[in-house]
Amino acid sequence: MNPVISARGLTKRYGRTMAVDHIDIDIPPGRIVGLIGPNGAGKTTALKAILGLATFEGELSVLGKNPARDRAALMEDVCFIADVAVLPRWIRVWQLIDLTEQIHPRFSRETCLEYLSHTKVTPEHKVKQLSKGMVAQLHLALVMAIDARLLVLDEPTLGLDILYRKQFYTNLLNDYFDEQRTILITTHQVEEVEHILTDLLFIQDGKIALEATMEEVQERYVELMASAQQAEQARSLKPMFERVLFGRHIFLYDNADRAQLAELGELHTPSVADLFVATMQEDQS
Amino acid sequence: MKRMIALLRREFWENKGAFRTTPLVIGGIYIAFLLMAIFTTAHIDDDLYTFREAVHVLAGRPAEFRGMIMYQSMLGSSVFFTVVMSFVIFFYLLGSLYDDRKDRSILFWKSLPASDTLTVASKLLSAMFIIPVFFLAITVLTHIIMAVIGSLMVLGVDGNPWTLFLSVSSPLKAWGMIAASYFAQSIWALPLYGWLMLVSAFAPRVPLLFATLPPLVFAVLQTWIEFLRTFTLKNNLMGLIGEWLFNSPAILTAEVHDGEGGIALGIPLTKDFDHAVTLANMIDRLFSTQMLIGLIVAAVFLTTALWLRHRAAES
Repeated sequence: MNPVISARGLTKRYGRTMAVDHIDIDIPPGRIVGLIGPNGAGKTTALKAILGLATFEGELSVLGKNPARDRAALMEDVCFIADVAVLPRWIRVWQLIDLTEQIHPRFSRETCLEYLSHTKVTPEHKVKQLSKGMVAQLHLALVMAIDARLLVLDEPTLGLDILYRKQFYTNLLNDYFDEQRTILITTHQVEEVEHILTDLLFIQDGKIALEATMEEVQERYVELMASAQQAEQARSLKPMFERVLFGRHIFLYDNADRAQLAELGELHTPSVADLFVATMQEDQS
Repeated sequence: MKRMIALLRREFWENKGAFRTTPLVIGGIYIAFLLMAIFTTAHIDDDLYTFREAVHVLAGRPAEFRGMIMYQSMLGSSVFFTVVMSFVIFFYLLGSLYDDRKDRSILFWKSLPASDTLTVASKLLSAMFIIPVFFLAITVLTHIIMAVIGSLMVLGVDGNPWTLFLSVSSPLKAWGMIAASYFAQSIWALPLYGWLMLVSAFAPRVPLLFATLPPLVFAVLQTWIEFLRTFTLKNNLMGLIGEWLFNSPAILTAEVHDGEGGIALGIPLTKDFDHAVTLANMIDRLFSTQMLIGLIVAAVFLTTALWLRHRAAES
């Protein structure tokens, strides 16, 4: 199948700094990709290039279109939520729905109203009267009512409480996602999304630090929890990363012999957050 | 087309106060003044004797004279609307490409499949047509209400409003003339509109300062350098802008002296154009060299504004 997003040598400079540095990406349809990186790693810059909000060097094709040139046409098939508070504050909910319906060919008013009926948002509300969580619900309802092929979420749950955050991803997964659709998420709340992701994309200093499916991650990486006595032996097997927790030594290995490791202690699949920290540290040393 | 209409509605929703409430308030002020004048007259004038006499005297004057008075006062009363409208358009355009950058809602607008060209066009069209149409409609409404009140007053002193002033006036001609002057002004003012949109697209903050300071500084420097070179004060940018204002095809001057109505296009200080309120004079301005240069300047400003809008969400 043709990739939804395909980049070759994607580069973005701001003066002398390389915000995105010759990245190659291929994202096939039907995936939920987590784009994860530290602050200033180039996540948002990469997303902006993909959404046609920024110029770039290199080749980039999103659903077969060049985003820098065809933003308007591309937006018929791409939706994005760029953090929570970007809905215009002066607008009323019914005006927002009217407007989206008239501008977006694939928007369904019924679907949108159906989603909103499960919330406290009413058509007469002005956006500025809504709480942060309700604005996020409204934006998600608008976006889920659009039959798009790519959904881009940039820190969609920033500043929301834990109930809204859980519900946000539950709705997304249960009511929206299917094999035809692709979701690209950036977030710092990795723990929240790791169970819904199918693919991981770590980015650091404008470069891709890791590109793998979740299955590959489970196959490749393993975490060993060893006692202090076995630490020396575990260290000799070249872990990527070591940390100490309550006197226990935790090692993270890439492509290690599991049978050998199992003799030294308990084995786990590392969490995305731990893998992220290990990858970032490894690249720095 | 459907998208353009949706975007125009958006401009109206966002700026209801400026587009609709402002002219309604002006109409309200006119009507309030009329009612105040009536109550004052009723209060000091026994049995409306003076008013009755005035109606009587007026009825004795020729129909052309009464028609002329009506026509001139309709055009004259539009000036207040026109001047306020200029301010409304000025501030509307100054915020048009700035406000959504400031509150970051540009990220929502850019997530809709509407091109930047369409967006910029919808804002320019709002300034050129939508705002004038609102002001025009409310001017007409105000004239009608005032005519009704006037008619009741004349009926109250046993006069006949129909023969006195209604039948001799030509409202459609007056309204048509105001409408024509508005749309001629929309084209005449394009360089200013383009400049305001350009500032709105690039100003990092306080667009008002960015809109007014550079031309001012430029004009002062120009005057100073010119003075150093020639020891004379000649035309500079401010002079150019003044000339542009004086020659405007909008009805901006309304005064009455020696019984003659002084209704004029622009401000009749220079002699570049005939300032009488006629369609021919409006068209004359639109086919002038000044206008041609203005259109080129406007095209440069608007293209740059569009280019900036295209990149507006980068940082």
